[in-house]
Amino acid sequence: MGNATIRVENVHVDYPIDGHSVRKVLNGIDLEIGSGEFVSIVGQTGCGKSTLLRLILAEEPPTRGQVLVAGRARSQPDRFCGYVPQRYSLFPDKTVLQNVTFGLEVTELRPFSRLRPDGRRHLREFQVEALRYLRHTGLAEADARKYPYQLSGGMQQRVAIAQALILKPPILLMDEAFSALDPATRSGMQRLIKELWRESGTTIVFVTHNTREAVCLGSRVIALAKGHSAEQGSSVALDLSIPNIEFDSDEEEIRALIRRVETATLPPICTSQPVSKPVAVHAVS
Amino acid sequence: MSFFRIHAQPGRATAWTLSWLLFAAGLVAYFYSAQKRHRENPDDRVMPTVTQMVQAFEDAALKPSDEEEAQANGSQGIFERFRRSMLWKDTQATGRRFLISVILLFPAVVLGLHMAMFPYIGAFFLRFFQFFDKIVALSLLPILFIAFGIDELAKIMLIVIGVTPTIILDTFNLSKSVPHEQIVKGFTLGAGDFGIAYRIVLKQIWPRVLNSIRLNLKAVMLFLFAGEMIASTDGLAYRIALLRRHMGMDTILPYVLWVAALLFLVDLGMNALNRKLHPWFREA
Repeated sequence: MGNATIRVENVHVDYPIDGHSVRKVLNGIDLEIGSGEFVSIVGQTGCGKSTLLRLILAEEPPTRGQVLVAGRARSQPDRFCGYVPQRYSLFPDKTVLQNVTFGLEVTELRPFSRLRPDGRRHLREFQVEALRYLRHTGLAEADARKYPYQLSGGMQQRVAIAQALILKPPILLMDEAFSALDPATRSGMQRLIKELWRESGTTIVFVTHNTREAVCLGSRVIALAKGHSAEQGSSVALDLSIPNIEFDSDEEEIRALIRRVETATLPPICTSQPVSKPVAVHAVS
Repeated sequence: MSFFRIHAQPGRATAWTLSWLLFAAGLVAYFYSAQKRHRENPDDRVMPTVTQMVQAFEDAALKPSDEEEAQANGSQGIFERFRRSMLWKDTQATGRRFLISVILLFPAVVLGLHMAMFPYIGAFFLRFFQFFDKIVALSLLPILFIAFGIDELAKIMLIVIGVTPTIILDTFNLSKSVPHEQIVKGFTLGAGDFGIAYRIVLKQIWPRVLNSIRLNLKAVMLFLFAGEMIASTDGLAYRIALLRRHMGMDTILPYVLWVAALLFLVDLGMNALNRKLHPWFREA
């Protein structure tokens, strides 16, 4: 996968309120995510998890500091980072197959080239490849001609994953991608993404507010927590390596890790410890 | 009484009957008043009877127009007679202007899309069109006639000025309503700025844009009629204005119904086409 590292260096994000005051969202975040890591970012609602993801995606610039993806600061999202959001992940006007081949079409084919025989041949090759990805994510060939509104939430997210992975992006960013799914579907999707990660070696940054999901999926969990006062913004409260946790691992071990993450992300009013300094912990498996 | 119950479910036959009731009431009220007026004054021209209207419509639709009268011969088929009639000539003239005006609305869609997608273009045009939209187009009519003369151009410009800002702003709002996730997704799939604008945003809003154009067809027709009534030598509105001077209500009323029927058919056709072309489109 080459250089698929992410470096977040002393990043601050402030949003203006009413034109004269600012709301601090992120306060001096420092992170380094290596190639092939599966990093779960967890924290309470409004702590800036999605903001951090948007910075990595280069959807918005930080107020201060810098974000380097593969050693380079980017000015807008590009195909280096695949993206699976919680909602609106598929184009509603395209069938499942068209959604999955879209990336290949826009990058490999010139406009109107499908009118030429070689363009049509390429398109058929893309469709064969897309069907392979769809099968791999657990979808049937019959679903390929359906429109997104004809699919369940879980199926839509499977298509979104296939759509992102077919371009083989070195980094995959997932923003609460399974949050809207029912528990059974969610569990299936979690196993699928972990399996895909092992096969592809893609760097995955997975934002979730579900601690159990973060612990069971990630090879590393980064917990963000808000500061003591509203003006402080969020910082990294815990940076935890989780080498060998599986969904069917010892329940006690999982619970202990969940407790540790949840304690770090509790609102300041519930804790006596300041959360400004990250604590690096390595779990013993 | 279930008439005012939100969960009431009228039967098929009841709903069908209710939907035609106002038409029937209107027709009964009209013909009752017309008969009454004709009993009092057999030469009444304000409310013609059915016979008078059928006769006048037949004359307009099947008799040769003034220009065609010399070439006409009595043995032509019904379509040939219609093709040479005043009604067809007027419909053709109005239809041509209508079609040109509708075609001219499409650049407005492109501009609205670009304003929404590219912030500099939006900053340049938005305030201007928001103001421009508030100008009453009919108040510009004298200016247009002075600037462009009383030919076709002035009439088409009137429609363009009257409807274009609405279409631009509507497309702008529709483009802005496309979820931001879709645009980010497009970039991460390798699409460029124009690829996102045309292959993601425009394709998604297209059925709604067509709906917006469809709903604005009446406004297009309104401005076209204003132009034709004031400065034209042919067209449906010209004929209505001309017949008004002669109190020709027996022709005016069928003409009004003819225009409504044509617009209704265009509306129906566009709606059906929209559903056929965009099976994925489901208006919330």
